[in-house]
Amino acid sequence: MASDSVAIRVENVTQRFRVIHERPDTIRALFSKLFRHELNYYDFEAVSNVSFSVHRGEMLGIIGRNGSGKSTLLKIIAGIYTPSAGRVEVRGSIAPLIELGAGMHPELTGRENILLNGLLMGYSKREMNEREAKIIEFAEIGDFIDTPLKQYSSGMYMRLAFSVATEIDPEVLVIDEILAVGDSGFQQKCFQRLRRFQEAGKTILLVTHSLQQVTESCDRAIVMDKGRMLIDGRPGDAVELYKRCVEAPEGAALVEAAQS
Amino acid sequence: MIDLWRDTYRYRELIWALALKELTIRYKRSVLGFLWALLNPTLMMIVLTLVFSHIMLLSTPHYAIFLLSMLLPWTFIAQSLSYAAESIVGNGDLIKKVAVAKLVFPVAAVVSNLINLLLSMIPLAVIVLILRAPFYWTWIYLPVPLVALTIFVLGGTFFFATASVYYRDVSHILQILLQAWFYVTPIIYTLDFFPARYRWIFKLNPVIYVMNGFRLSVYYGKLPTAESIIASFVCAFIALGVGFAIFRKYQDEFVFYV
Repeated sequence: MASDSVAIRVENVTQRFRVIHERPDTIRALFSKLFRHELNYYDFEAVSNVSFSVHRGEMLGIIGRNGSGKSTLLKIIAGIYTPSAGRVEVRGSIAPLIELGAGMHPELTGRENILLNGLLMGYSKREMNEREAKIIEFAEIGDFIDTPLKQYSSGMYMRLAFSVATEIDPEVLVIDEILAVGDSGFQQKCFQRLRRFQEAGKTILLVTHSLQQVTESCDRAIVMDKGRMLIDGRPGDAVELYKRCVEAPEGAALVEAAQS
Repeated sequence: MIDLWRDTYRYRELIWALALKELTIRYKRSVLGFLWALLNPTLMMIVLTLVFSHIMLLSTPHYAIFLLSMLLPWTFIAQSLSYAAESIVGNGDLIKKVAVAKLVFPVAAVVSNLINLLLSMIPLAVIVLILRAPFYWTWIYLPVPLVALTIFVLGGTFFFATASVYYRDVSHILQILLQAWFYVTPIIYTLDFFPARYRWIFKLNPVIYVMNGFRLSVYYGKLPTAESIIASFVCAFIALGVGFAIFRKYQDEFVFYV
């Protein structure tokens, strides 16, 4: 495929975290540990040497067990983490949010939050004012829009958050396990919207534990395990591999052996 | 430093929204709401004026105005730095979830406190009139020390915002530091109150020139000397240069520590 159709390119990305046992929170603790050489730490690789690319208009599923590095990978792509090694290239605007509703404040009204959320994601006040009516309409929260967020039900809150994130129309959308909320009607609506995104040539990264979502909606899927990428292929194959990983504790090793 | 101006300009709408959010939340649950931003300094000034013009009879005429001319900018310093220590840590959840330029948080903290300072100048003017103290034309000079002070405070804010990410002790140390700093700055007393052999302490105080600018123009009706004005800006730009350099060096790591 031509390289100009690539929306996201991840090249040999590694993210190392320095894990300090009993991280000293205070200066006193730090000094006492430094002097007694008790500052023991180890480097933990949350993501090791991962490479893949996503084409424009593709929906890529990312699956893996808890702690396998999925969210870290998304955070690197979204620009929240600067990777320890490797390179990430994202062409086009990206909605730099990992969790829906990040940055929303319970004391502010829905309307105030729409603006604040949009500004946080790098949009201008004018752009947000233009989209406000549509956001409110899609979220179906009616008169509550001028009520402080703390009085919203969790469903209303999520609807508003999803509506803001998708109505601002980014070229790349990053979604981390968020579609588990909301009633089935709204979930349906969310997926319809994601499909329209895809049809409009937008790129979607979807981290999920719902294997059904992966096989039904994604064009491709990768499986992460212990920071490494095990497979980059068709959703069906990825799901199969993932199931084997989960069943066998030493799944990753088995898979690697099979691949080599 | 160019980065700072460019990013501040680029994120001006976000910074403004965050500063307003800060103020809205501070006053939201109260009945009088935003009026408190005006009422707060007014009431404080009324108390101070009553205490110093009727109860404690000091030799300094119009002591309340003497005091307020420096106490208001001091409150701006103290509040901004206290907010600063929380500006990154307190927004940790946000920083972990949204890719956003980190500098917007400390800058917004300064902006919200600057709004408070500007609002508090209104009741100060009213009190000057009520007490029939002389109202000097030198008030028009106030924007100059305001700019110098804001630059200085921004620098301090960047420094304390960074430091408190790594060591939470910083916010406690800062409170003690502010206490000591308050007393070695001639806010509640005049310069000659200090024994001559200790006056070198004033020379070490980076805000003394800028603070003096406030008092001279509001209380004495004079303008500071050119040397004093230059000194206030030199201190301000050194603070900003150092503070921002430290902040910029560490900002990409904040997300791992908040």
